[in-house]
Amino acid sequence: MEFALHGLSLLLAPKVLLVIVISCIYGLFVGAIPGLTATMAAALLIPFTFFMDPVPALVSIVAMSAMAIFAGDIPAALVRIPGTPSSAAYTQDSFELTKQGKGEMVLGVGVTFSAIGGLMGGCTLMVAAPLLAELAMTFTTFEFFWLAALGLSATVMVSRGSQVKGALAMILGLFLSTIGVDITLGYPRFTFGSVELLNGVNFIPAMIGVFGVSEVIRNVMEAHVAYPIARVKTGKIFASIPQLFKKYKLHVPRSGLLGIFIGILPGAGADIAAWLAYAVAKKSSKEPEKFGFGSIEAIVNSSTANNACLAGAWVPAMVFGIPGDSITAIVIGVLFMKGLRPGPMIFEKNPEIVYAVYFAFILANLLVIPFGYLAIKTSAQMLRVPKKILMPAILMFCMVGSYAINNSLFDVGTMLLMGVVGFFLEANGFPVAPVVLGLVLGPILEKNFMMSMIKTDWDFLPFFSRPVSATLCTMTIIIWLFPLFSAFLEKAKNRNQVPMQ
Amino acid sequence: MIGGGIFIALGISILILTIPFPSLDKDHPGPSLFPNILAALFIFFGSLLLFKARKSSRGKRPTEEASETLPSRNVWNAFFTLGIIVAFMVLESWLGFLLTSFFLLFLFMKKLGTSLFKSVVLSILVTLFTHFIFYKILRVPLSPGLLGW
Repeated sequence: MEFALHGLSLLLAPKVLLVIVISCIYGLFVGAIPGLTATMAAALLIPFTFFMDPVPALVSIVAMSAMAIFAGDIPAALVRIPGTPSSAAYTQDSFELTKQGKGEMVLGVGVTFSAIGGLMGGCTLMVAAPLLAELAMTFTTFEFFWLAALGLSATVMVSRGSQVKGALAMILGLFLSTIGVDITLGYPRFTFGSVELLNGVNFIPAMIGVFGVSEVIRNVMEAHVAYPIARVKTGKIFASIPQLFKKYKLHVPRSGLLGIFIGILPGAGADIAAWLAYAVAKKSSKEPEKFGFGSIEAIVNSSTANNACLAGAWVPAMVFGIPGDSITAIVIGVLFMKGLRPGPMIFEKNPEIVYAVYFAFILANLLVIPFGYLAIKTSAQMLRVPKKILMPAILMFCMVGSYAINNSLFDVGTMLLMGVVGFFLEANGFPVAPVVLGLVLGPILEKNFMMSMIKTDWDFLPFFSRPVSATLCTMTIIIWLFPLFSAFLEKAKNRNQVPMQ
Repeated sequence: MIGGGIFIALGISILILTIPFPSLDKDHPGPSLFPNILAALFIFFGSLLLFKARKSSRGKRPTEEASETLPSRNVWNAFFTLGIIVAFMVLESWLGFLLTSFFLLFLFMKKLGTSLFKSVVLSILVTLFTHFIFYKILRVPLSPGLLGW
């Protein structure tokens, strides 16, 4: 209780509240501009968090991401382009309803159910994280090795598109994490005589490159199109909410829980949560024919799931140090930067920070309603900001942000290189989230493996004989075998169908 | 197919580069263990990608891929973006942040089609805003350069 009050007092400090307000406005702006993602916004926030105390640093990311994920719904309804990938699942439905003159209702549903989903996620984080942290206290290097392996395997499994490409992206991230002095003998690996590389690839410029520079490149390569903005009345956006809440009272908790579960899975983000909630809602709907042609049910379910997912992703990040998505990968980087080690010990050593994060989720999602309402009111102006002005400004922030961490132009070079790598990977259908997760989890994987090997004198048995370790190992192997199983089942299904025809 | 080839080449390069790495002791590998495992995985998954790409490209005509290429003007915008970053790295310490930022923002905005007046005004505003945030508030030592500020 004492720590909870301390956490709350840290959160409610005037400076922190100011940071939250600025982060909310920033998140709404980035989320509402098509082509800019919440992950990019988080990457651009890191240079600022570098100069903040841990609590404002973390809550700025919480507030920004909650707002950005909701704000993605605004251009989806008004111009038929999702502001962030998380709103892509129901963009068609949103726009169709706007064309039918129900834009006011769509925006009201987006803001309300995003807040509800986010609050569900925040409450789950509050309950689940301390329980899991107690379990994680008993973990040793063997369990942490398997946790990292499980996280990486799940990342590949749920990554978009080809799993082979997902695996290669993850291995690339793991390889980048090996650059620098190794942990066993202090031998410099792949540094090519560079002093700057002895500490490894600097995480912050790498993130800014992968998520910021690559987005700028992608945006400047697209032809500039001025999109027509649908006119929507915004006087009574909440008028239909009580009725919809009554109608979908069971859908909301279901989609919220689904979103939280997807968030907990490493590598799966809010976009996957929204797509999955959409698919589940369609399957169980009494009006599945409306999906894709203006279904409010689709928007209720998906917008609940994508905001709930955000807090879900913080559960493995805080408890085990395993990021649930790209944003929490950045959060882990920020925690290390602040001298805090994500994992069960943070619950013992810095409980006030953990509580501040819990309360930040609650506060940020409550703020989604008033800030979201204001964003809807000013959406037409936000959507008119031309990219030919926005992109140069973002690039300047990327460059100065990368430089600011160590006052080093070498870091700007790292950002450039990672931006090119990120762009080419995305352009060729490789997901970039596994690169980031590989970069974060690589040192955990290697350190825990080597430490285990050294302390057991190269005896592999404890990796499989300890109960929790064996369970995690089995789960990892099941994930590896899953593509083979599904291919086998698919073949068997096809074989059964042929004779029937 | 090219992607698969690049990853295989990367795997082979890692294997070569780890040859001089020392061992933990005479029986056990040390700093080279993890990179070698990753190299093997690069080669395995790279080959898989190559094999899959060859299999799927068998039925395709080359014109199908050619039609997906981007207009050259947009590709030049990408090169221009990279050029701006390189120019920032070269000019920042010599010209100083204020001049470099204004000059590069102006060039980039003009290149993307912003009018002359807007480019000048917005470049000044963005430069001053960035300078205020990073130099004044966050106390990042941005180079004073020629102006000495």
